[in-house]
Amino acid sequence: MIMTNVNTVPGKKIVEHFGIVQGSTVRAKHVGRDLMASLKNLVGGELKGYTELLQDSRQEAMKRMEEQAQQMGANAVVNIRFATSSVAQGAAELFAYGTAVRVE
Amino acid sequence: MKFTPKQLDENVNVSKTHPLVELMWLVGGLILLVGGTFFLLGVTTDWAASKTPVKVENWLGNLALNEFPAEQSPELKSRLDALLAQVPQDSPLHQYDFNIYLSDSDDVNAIALPGGRIVVFKGLLDQVESENELAMVLAHELGHFAHRDHLRGLGRGLGIAVVTALLLGENNSASGLISKAVLTFQVQYSQSQESAADQFGVDLLTTRYGHAGGATTFFARLAENAGSKIPYVLASHPHPKNRIEALNKRIEHLGYPVAKTDKLHPDLVLED
Amino acid sequence: MEILLQNIDLIIFILLIVLGYSAGSWAEKKHYRSIKQREKELLKMAVITAEGSFPPGQVANATLVSGSVVVSIDYFKRLLAILRNVFGGRVKSYESLVDRARREAILRMKEQARELGAGMIINMRLETATIGKSANKKGRVGSIEAIAYGTAIVKNL
Repeated sequence: MIMTNVNTVPGKKIVEHFGIVQGSTVRAKHVGRDLMASLKNLVGGELKGYTELLQDSRQEAMKRMEEQAQQMGANAVVNIRFATSSVAQGAAELFAYGTAVRVE
Repeated sequence: MKFTPKQLDENVNVSKTHPLVELMWLVGGLILLVGGTFFLLGVTTDWAASKTPVKVENWLGNLALNEFPAEQSPELKSRLDALLAQVPQDSPLHQYDFNIYLSDSDDVNAIALPGGRIVVFKGLLDQVESENELAMVLAHELGHFAHRDHLRGLGRGLGIAVVTALLLGENNSASGLISKAVLTFQVQYSQSQESAADQFGVDLLTTRYGHAGGATTFFARLAENAGSKIPYVLASHPHPKNRIEALNKRIEHLGYPVAKTDKLHPDLVLED
Repeated sequence: MEILLQNIDLIIFILLIVLGYSAGSWAEKKHYRSIKQREKELLKMAVITAEGSFPPGQVANATLVSGSVVVSIDYFKRLLAILRNVFGGRVKSYESLVDRARREAILRMKEQARELGAGMIINMRLETATIGKSANKKGRVGSIEAIAYGTAIVKNL
């Protein structure tokens, strides 16, 4: 599945489009990551635990979006956008959306 | 450009697990986690309590005593000393400097505080009808000291509270749930402590008086007022009927004789 | 009776959970049915996130359209989220919530475009936010807002 965040797929022609596809996931951190984060608050630096968490969430959201595009019969998703928001204490929602198209 | 919309039936963004199944898993996991931590902490604090010197306990006791307004009672002290004289010399009980107080409250209760302090409530004295019964109550409290129960209980509760606060931060709603779970484990533990103190008590009573009369009569009176056994599942003491059963078993098992009890000596003035 | 009174806070808690679960799942099913039905009706309206290119003279009108909705969280979902906070992982109870909110917002945007007589919406964007005075504070129930906006194109016939 080809994914781009521009209007087209560079070098190919879009022949058909299927509408919007979206993939989202809501993830919570657990107490272990929280503990490391509060320790890091003392010394500073990258919060590896959280970075990993958000990366995993992003991968999952994109995978879900790709699955939905496949169900529609598309072979590429263009103009992808991401958004993050916190929906509950300790949990963040990540979603990706784009337009499912067929390119040749 | 051609547009072919398609209505999808399957929703990729929602998981297929039923929410009640997920609830079961989460609650089960929480109970396991709390139980495991409790057990670990218990093992650690039991070891620590047995190593704590009596001096430290006395200091803790001073702090706790301020909660209970009460006066020293020489009459109760003389009875306590009579019991202590029967305890073997190598017992840790002799390292304590016991002080026994009488509190005005109508509660039917007696409390063992760290540092060798025993507070007996007036309500309890009103219910007691013989010297032997009073001795049984005092011996039960001595049993708590011999097993260092109050230190152990303190250690566990504190340990759990500290660990929860560290992991989850204060005022987190999850810590409320966890404390409820912990409390359930805690009361089971304290019920077994009470039974152990009962057994120490009946042993000491028999050594003092030569027979075990009066060991169960006090609890029998309490049992009449106690009602059903259900609230006692979550209480810190076992149900009086269960205590009587356990005591009778021990009396039979160790072959203690049961004889007539001594009437309560009038020096214990019960009106104020 | 005494047992009930002593544990009254626990009993209220359980009652609220049961209420949240039953009312919440009924409302959710109803909402999903409505969403699926309206999506079927509005299937013909194309929505893309790209800008599209239109040869001059083809477009009669282009205006901004938007749709938004605020959905509230129920007690049962909140309980599941709190328990998740201990173990980590996917908060499955919230997934359906945000999915509903977003699809509803897109539908409302499409409905607004249909009223204008438009046939397609380009450059659609989605945003989610949590609002409500106590949304992220501890111990409070919050709500999720989803907004979808894009440019509706009315074609020249």
